Amino acid sequence: MRQKVMIVMLALAAVLLVRNLYTISLLPDEVNQGQIFRIIFFHLPAAIAAMLGSAVALLASVMFLWKKNFQYDALAVAVTEVGLAFLAVNLVTGSIWARVIWGVWWAWDPRLTSALICWILYAGYLILRQALEEPTQRATFAAVYSIFAFTDVPIVYFSIRWWRTIHPQPVFFSKGGSFPPDWSRALLVNMVAIFLLYAVLTMIRLRQEQTQREIDYLRRTVHAI
Amino acid sequence: MRFVTLTPVIAMLLQAAYDPIREEIGRLQRNFQGLIWGFVAAWVILLLYTLMLTVRERKLRREMERLKSMVEETEKK
Repeated sequence: MRQKVMIVMLALAAVLLVRNLYTISLLPDEVNQGQIFRIIFFHLPAAIAAMLGSAVALLASVMFLWKKNFQYDALAVAVTEVGLAFLAVNLVTGSIWARVIWGVWWAWDPRLTSALICWILYAGYLILRQALEEPTQRATFAAVYSIFAFTDVPIVYFSIRWWRTIHPQPVFFSKGGSFPPDWSRALLVNMVAIFLLYAVLTMIRLRQEQTQREIDYLRRTVHAI
Repeated sequence: MRFVTLTPVIAMLLQAAYDPIREEIGRLQRNFQGLIWGFVAAWVILLLYTLMLTVRERKLRREMERLKSMVEETEKK
């Protein structure tokens, strides 16, 4: 059943993405940026997906510390790992956009820097998990670390309002936004597709984490025998 | 005197060297290449991650089967 749901979600994401790629190609060029503006249709959904993932990881970590249920720990690691891949997509597409528009691959701007710190923090979360052998200790330390790592997420989000930055201000769904409604619609469709992809990858990773626990249990059984 | 007569020639040469149409075509080309690289990079990252998941899945399955057969063998003994 779970497998079928995953296949349906993946197929739906693929259909939406392919269809939307065509829709995006038909949109007129942005007056100042030209064609490169279309990168936002992947750059922004990847960032939002990663941010939502980190929020889920925070909730799961808090729930683990409260209930001591390893399912929450598995969920936290699954969403964090997939989120890291999506944040990498966000950083790399942003860097390519910057090379075309700003003329540089990277600038130590508050938004860019805080997003990079966010990526490094969550990569540290995965490294921490690798370093600890004992499951309860690993899950507890990782949960505390995940809560600490989340403190960077609001900084990433608000950095363009708190500090002077060269990163563009929000253009979709905001009062000062300059993008027309049909462009926002195309972005929404891409967002749905990318969220579906995120959910499928998280489900696969979650299943792997459960298999890993079964393997650990079997190993203990073999040693006990 | 000679410089004065050469001035319009130099101006014409400079004007010929700066071709706004060619420059705009170059800018659009760089712009399009950037867009393609952006899309390719996004999909390559996600593809690599999916590949990583697939490799891990296979490894876990093999380990699971190995351990299960070990448990069965030990129980038989």
